[in-house]
Amino acid sequence: MLKVIVEKEIREILGSVKFVITFGACAVLILLSFYIGAANHKANVEQYNAAKAENTRQMEGLTSWMSLEQHRIFLPPQPLAALVTGSSNDVGRTIDVHRRSELAAVDSKFNEDPIYAVFRFLDLTFIFQIVLSLFAIMLGYDAICGEKERGTLRLSFANPVPRATYILGKLLGSFITLVTALLIAILLSCLILPLLGVSLTGDEWIRLAAIIGTGLLYFGVFLTLSVFVSSRTHRTSSAFLALLVIWVVSVLIVPRSATLLAGRAVDVPSIDELAAQKTSFSRQLWTEYRDAMGSFSAPKDIDPHDMMTHFNKFMDSLSTEREAKMKVFSDRLNEDRFNRQVVQQKFAFNVARVSPAASMNLAAANLAGTSIGLKNRFHETAMEYRKVFGDFIREKTGMNLGGGMIYVEINDDGEKPDPIDPSELPVYTYSPKPLMASFSAAFVDIGILALFNLIFFVGAFVSFIRYDVR
Amino acid sequence: MSENILTIEKPRLEAINLTKRYRDGVLALDNISFSVQPGEIFVMLGGNGAGKTTTINLFLNFIEPTEGEARIDGIITHKDPLAAKERVSFVSENVMLYGDFTAVQNLDYFSRIGGQSEYTKDDYRDALLRVNLAEEAHHKKLRGFSKGMRQKCGIAIAILKGAPAILLDEPTSGLDPKAGHDFIHLLKSLQKEGKSILMSTHDIFRAKAIADTIAIMNNGRIIMLKKSSELAGCNLEELYMQYMTGHDGQRLAG
Repeated sequence: MLKVIVEKEIREILGSVKFVITFGACAVLILLSFYIGAANHKANVEQYNAAKAENTRQMEGLTSWMSLEQHRIFLPPQPLAALVTGSSNDVGRTIDVHRRSELAAVDSKFNEDPIYAVFRFLDLTFIFQIVLSLFAIMLGYDAICGEKERGTLRLSFANPVPRATYILGKLLGSFITLVTALLIAILLSCLILPLLGVSLTGDEWIRLAAIIGTGLLYFGVFLTLSVFVSSRTHRTSSAFLALLVIWVVSVLIVPRSATLLAGRAVDVPSIDELAAQKTSFSRQLWTEYRDAMGSFSAPKDIDPHDMMTHFNKFMDSLSTEREAKMKVFSDRLNEDRFNRQVVQQKFAFNVARVSPAASMNLAAANLAGTSIGLKNRFHETAMEYRKVFGDFIREKTGMNLGGGMIYVEINDDGEKPDPIDPSELPVYTYSPKPLMASFSAAFVDIGILALFNLIFFVGAFVSFIRYDVR
Repeated sequence: MSENILTIEKPRLEAINLTKRYRDGVLALDNISFSVQPGEIFVMLGGNGAGKTTTINLFLNFIEPTEGEARIDGIITHKDPLAAKERVSFVSENVMLYGDFTAVQNLDYFSRIGGQSEYTKDDYRDALLRVNLAEEAHHKKLRGFSKGMRQKCGIAIAILKGAPAILLDEPTSGLDPKAGHDFIHLLKSLQKEGKSILMSTHDIFRAKAIADTIAIMNNGRIIMLKKSSELAGCNLEELYMQYMTGHDGQRLAG
């Protein structure tokens, strides 16, 4: 009996004009999202390579590592960010690594071209979030009440059909058909990536598979929700209207409201407030530093060149001491802000998770490595690089990075000094969160989506057992 | 032989003190009792809200009785609905099948959920031809079918189920005269096969043409129950109007 109902459901869906039109639109948009993603990634890679080359070119002509007070590093474009944009367009893509100032990522995609911030990208998660959920609603809202309205439910239940078998068959039939159709469209779209020259590593393919799985789980939420609502109503217009309201609230309103609510609930000082406190403290330190500068005394009869080195070392020690104090103060402020931000983010995420759209987005972004943690990870790796870069400069110059005063070498013999070799610089590499850590971060949201599926499935099942089929 | 004796002794369809009161307090059916024997056509006549469809819904266990019981071959429908439904076919007033399926696909699906999975394409063709549905329509989608064509498919489904009882809810409503005529002939042939038919209708003339027993219903009650032989020579329309307006009820009832 179950097989008969599942087969009928599959045949009915595949034969309906509604399916052909909505699935066609869905498949085209999925294909488009992969194409746009691949094209964007290629453009980003070219831009990244050009920026790196320009950075190296700017080092041409430098004759001393001492004059290289900072070094610019770039966040390499991640192939999966092309499909799951997440926060990748908001995060700055370059950091000037400097010892004395705080590291800040600047030059985000949105900063470069604000039009993207207004209209955003047509990425895979957008297709999942908006199009797939509407696709599920379009094909599920009349699953039960539509059959009642058409009169086929009455005729079906004039036969010895157990209700549990019927609803199970309907849910399974719909899910199998629609998920298979979507999976085919998505897998065909995946072929675009290598065709357009975007190569993914094995690790990235696993992540992409998990992202697609998350998307299908999200689709399942709206499909079971649609069948649930359909089995709670007796008119297709009522079911569609109810689902539309639920869709608007859960997909569009809840995630945004969660952020607003979190902003109200947890106070996080702004960057400007922090900067004002830091400036005030820095001024205080500078006064102390200036007084200390007056205490420099050079040994008598010292060579002018040695004198300069001696002075630089003195200044370097003063700077180091001042910077250490400044660092302690800044770190404390930053840490406090960071902790508040974490609390605020957790609050926002937990509230937003009422919406399956938020869970799907969070899981996909975690799997793609474009979650809100991308900024922190870039910053952390930049901090690690600063240490490596500082060690390199110390090794080359015997001085701390940016710690000394201006180094002037007067070459009496008129020989032109050799230029530095930029290829000697330590290479900055960005690696996303390890695969298991990403899965672990996405686990909660994937679990929530599975739970939503289960709740709506049981809801549809229980509602239909008591449904008036007349 | 023994089977024939059994069916004669035991009614195929029975309504025993059947009462249905809805949650809003409306009494849709008020203690009605009747039985339908094998090979009998039992017609329920009455206006809207008389309780005809409620009676059919109780036999199909779409709703449960407040009191009394409906039985099919002795099986109480609300106690063992699946077993009861194995023994009954149903044709509604406006047969709505799956519009994106062809006639044959509809027959195939409903036969299979009705418990008949051994039918071949020839069986479907024969059933559709028996209800006078032209062969060129057999593989067309139902979406473009007229009400009469859909009704024919509904009857074909009922025939293929092979159940001993058939419930018909206003089956001739909206059919053109030719289709209505064909339908009556079909019912007669099913009757000859020993099927028990319980039909609700507004159509007094068709009721008189085919019924073995006629029940006039009003406000959830059977106000007249007569064998067609008892009604010979009566003007059924006049009688119906008398009952519906409350005249002569006592003289003829019972």
